[in-house]
Amino acid sequence: MNYRSYFKAEWLSLLRRKQDTLNALLFFVMVITLFPLGVDPSAEFLAPAAGGIIWCATALSVLMAVEGMYKEDYNDGSLEQWLTSGLSVTLLVFLKVLAQWLVVVAPLLIVLPVLAQMLFLPMSVLGVVMLSILLGTPALFFIGSIGAALTVSLRRGAVLMLLLILPLYIPVIIFATGAVRAAQLDMAYSGQLAILTAISLVALALSPVMAAVSIKASVN
Amino acid sequence: MNWTWFHKLGSPKWFYQWAANWGGRCVYLGLALLLLGVAWGLGFAPADYQQGNSFRIIYIHVPVAVLAQSCYLGMGIAGFVALVWQMKLAPVFIKSVAPVGAVMALIALLSGAIWGKPTWGTWWVWDARLTSVLVLFLLYMGVIAIQNALDDQVFADKAVAVVSLVGVINLPIIKYSVEWWNTLHQPATFKLTEKPSMPMEMWLPLLFSAVGLYLFAAGIAMWRMQNEVLKRERKANWVKKEVLEHGV
Repeated sequence: MNYRSYFKAEWLSLLRRKQDTLNALLFFVMVITLFPLGVDPSAEFLAPAAGGIIWCATALSVLMAVEGMYKEDYNDGSLEQWLTSGLSVTLLVFLKVLAQWLVVVAPLLIVLPVLAQMLFLPMSVLGVVMLSILLGTPALFFIGSIGAALTVSLRRGAVLMLLLILPLYIPVIIFATGAVRAAQLDMAYSGQLAILTAISLVALALSPVMAAVSIKASVN
Repeated sequence: MNWTWFHKLGSPKWFYQWAANWGGRCVYLGLALLLLGVAWGLGFAPADYQQGNSFRIIYIHVPVAVLAQSCYLGMGIAGFVALVWQMKLAPVFIKSVAPVGAVMALIALLSGAIWGKPTWGTWWVWDARLTSVLVLFLLYMGVIAIQNALDDQVFADKAVAVVSLVGVINLPIIKYSVEWWNTLHQPATFKLTEKPSMPMEMWLPLLFSAVGLYLFAAGIAMWRMQNEVLKRERKANWVKKEVLEHGV
């Protein structure tokens, strides 16, 4: 096993499990549907709230996707293979999260224009929403991977993982929706996007290390 | 610099005996200072020219809120020590301090709500500090939850160390992000670098109750850590000797 072959195998196995990808997408659509139904279906409410609704749904569906990312590897012994392979666990975590990110975020961006229409989001803002998702979700995935690694050995770790990780998502959600809101008001939004990128980069630098520590502790 | 004290801290036995001397002293001295500060603040400090007597809750609210943040900072540092130097006492510290910090965050939220009602007219506003203390409380609950969920001691220690360290890196980001997002709260009461904006007779009782609460919490943490050390080292000879000689 080397890094390249690992990434390829991971990528292929994610692509062949189409139902999982579809489920994450359907969950995203479902959460978004709840807001007009539960709060207010009028354009006056939805148009200004759309950025926030999309981002809450994104955060939740990322958590759902990330939650089980090590489960199968833990059960079938792949994680032990990681430790004995002589490769850096940190880098393996990085590659795995990268593959996950590509598989989850790409379809999400594809359905986003349709959902944005349903939420009466102005077309001019759609680009900013997509950009914020592109720049902000890496942070969600990398931070989430720590929680997934910590709770992998628990049979019912999902709720615990939500409790651990969701508070850490708050800054990402604030800056992402801040960028969307600024764009809606015709103000400069590059500052918020820059901070969002910075958070993603910090998460990218530190999370794989933390997740690797947690995986080593979980497996032993 | 002499680092012996730091290395000694790695030994549960040494810590146990040290805490046996200092734990009680900290608790009682802290309690006395706290009571003095609170009584002084409630009964004798002058009333605020704007908020009247309702400002007096500051003598509980501010020390508790500051302590809630310090406890988490301490846990983050201990998490780092646990992961890097693998000191035995660091996870014990995290486990013992987490509930203390959680209670402090909860009291800060409740006393803040009680203070908010007469001054702002509502129990709760989505203000930066209120929100960040709420998040802090949730972070504490996360540490406690994962501690309770994992049965294996070694793994649980690693996990809480990771969670506290990640939390402490995130805490300033959360704090500044919510501050940027919305702010209504009055600026910080205490700043180490500046002269206090309050008059002396209002500010001194606050200092007393803050120092008292810190000492009190430190003493409680030492007691809790002693318990945890006894539980973890129950097979060690010195624990058997200690229990036979002094009882528990």
